[in-house]
Amino acid sequence: MIRYFAAFLLTACFTLATVLEPAFQRLRAKTDTSSTMLVALLGDSRQMFAAHFFAEADAYFHSGFYPTIFDNAKPEGPSHLKEEAHEHEEPGHEDHDDSFMGPPKDLFDRFGRNFYPTVHTHLSHGNEREILPWLKISAELDPKRIETYVTAAYWLRTSLNKPNEAEEFLREGLRANPDSYEILLELGRVYFYNKKDTRVARNIWELALAKWVAQDAAGDKPDRHDHEEILGEILRADRADNDLKAQLADLEELIKISPSKGTLEPQLEDVKAKLAAQK
Amino acid sequence: MNNCFPIAGVVIKELYRRKDFYVLFILTVLITLLFGSVNFFNDDRIARYLKDVCLLLIWIASLVIAVTTTARQIPAERESRTIFPLLAKPVGRGELIAGKFLGCWAATGLALIVFYFFFGMISASREHSLHWTLYFQAIWLHWICLGIVVAMVLLGSIVFAAPSSNATICLIIIIGIMFAGGHLNGIAIGMRGIRGEIVYAIYYIIPHLEWYDDMRDLVVHDWGSIDWLIWAGATIYGLLYAAFLLCVTWLVFRRKALAL
Repeated sequence: MIRYFAAFLLTACFTLATVLEPAFQRLRAKTDTSSTMLVALLGDSRQMFAAHFFAEADAYFHSGFYPTIFDNAKPEGPSHLKEEAHEHEEPGHEDHDDSFMGPPKDLFDRFGRNFYPTVHTHLSHGNEREILPWLKISAELDPKRIETYVTAAYWLRTSLNKPNEAEEFLREGLRANPDSYEILLELGRVYFYNKKDTRVARNIWELALAKWVAQDAAGDKPDRHDHEEILGEILRADRADNDLKAQLADLEELIKISPSKGTLEPQLEDVKAKLAAQK
Repeated sequence: MNNCFPIAGVVIKELYRRKDFYVLFILTVLITLLFGSVNFFNDDRIARYLKDVCLLLIWIASLVIAVTTTARQIPAERESRTIFPLLAKPVGRGELIAGKFLGCWAATGLALIVFYFFFGMISASREHSLHWTLYFQAIWLHWICLGIVVAMVLLGSIVFAAPSSNATICLIIIIGIMFAGGHLNGIAIGMRGIRGEIVYAIYYIIPHLEWYDDMRDLVVHDWGSIDWLIWAGATIYGLLYAAFLLCVTWLVFRRKALAL
């Protein structure tokens, strides 16, 4: 009797599973379980962990040469990694910089410094890939952290020559931050510098510019330097297309906001001269 | 001294008879392989995060093995009353301490060999190279560090009543030293007066376990091997500190009443 009852229970479970599984699949798609689970488990501390993993990527970029909470690190300001993302230094750059450690305080301190990195270096020759896992984890924890996407995409498209992966990651970031002009600026660079698709790149930068202007109009105080960079990239796209009229408009816009007017004004005159010669 | 080796042999046998080591090793392997199976931007040459995770797990597992194995040695002998026949002549209390220390230290050394063999395989599978000298220095200094830990826990097992309280207190002290021990001098400089002097004195007195732990960064980020003189200095420092702790243990144990 008990065997029949066990067989009945198993059949009932099997039947119910076939009915319930599609329903749960639909529910999962609606609620996006992975992110809601992270929210439930970590709450707002996700942002703290995301910042920690971003700093870990920075530490990896310097091969472990990185200040601890006890060291005299700059309390504010952009991370080293972000700075590097904008000003790519010579590969293999090495600097005996012990600024955050200071000179050894005593004999033990001097001896102990033999057991951890004390030389300021940057990853190079494709080894920048080592920072990527921490950036990916940081983005998973805090999808609103825009600099994570921009930094990872920069290294993916430059040193690692992986434009498709960079684009995929940036689009992931764009889904989480639809109004981000920073992500659009970097996405345009993927198309312009790596995929050599000037038309798509220019359209993306136009969208980035529109987002920047909208945020400025709304009083969000977007980064002025990014505005200059977007206009600069649009100008490059127009130069690649040899569109003199567009170049003239870009230069006139750029001169209004750029601190290096002295460099831009001769370029403007040059474009004007070429346009006059065409007429 | 000959009496120490049979005692040490029993401790080593205990390590491979108990399940602690196997559980920790399997956990280390599983977690490392789980991390290794994650695909980051279709790049299978990313190695450092995996080495970092694996080494961190090895350090945690080795500390747990060293502390738990050592903490129960003397209390277990006292509880089961086997300490009385053990201390019957010709085995002295000092020899018992030395035997237990050697056994626990050798047992953790054997566990380290297995753990680092796995680490070497993981590292070689990703990087296609092995930094033999650096890895040898890392495993050796790790073992020296565990020597200090074993001696410290052995002292704790004489001082504290229960193995659990001893293990907990020792783990807190060890983790505290690894986290902040190397920065006490900086903190002391920032403090004024006698408090700063006391903190600086503590900085010099504590065993500097953080030196050995810091080696992880050199291994993970492929900084070359350290100077052999520095390696020898760290070895001598570790051995001297362990010997000092063993002397204190023997001094306390010499006058300790064994009846529960």
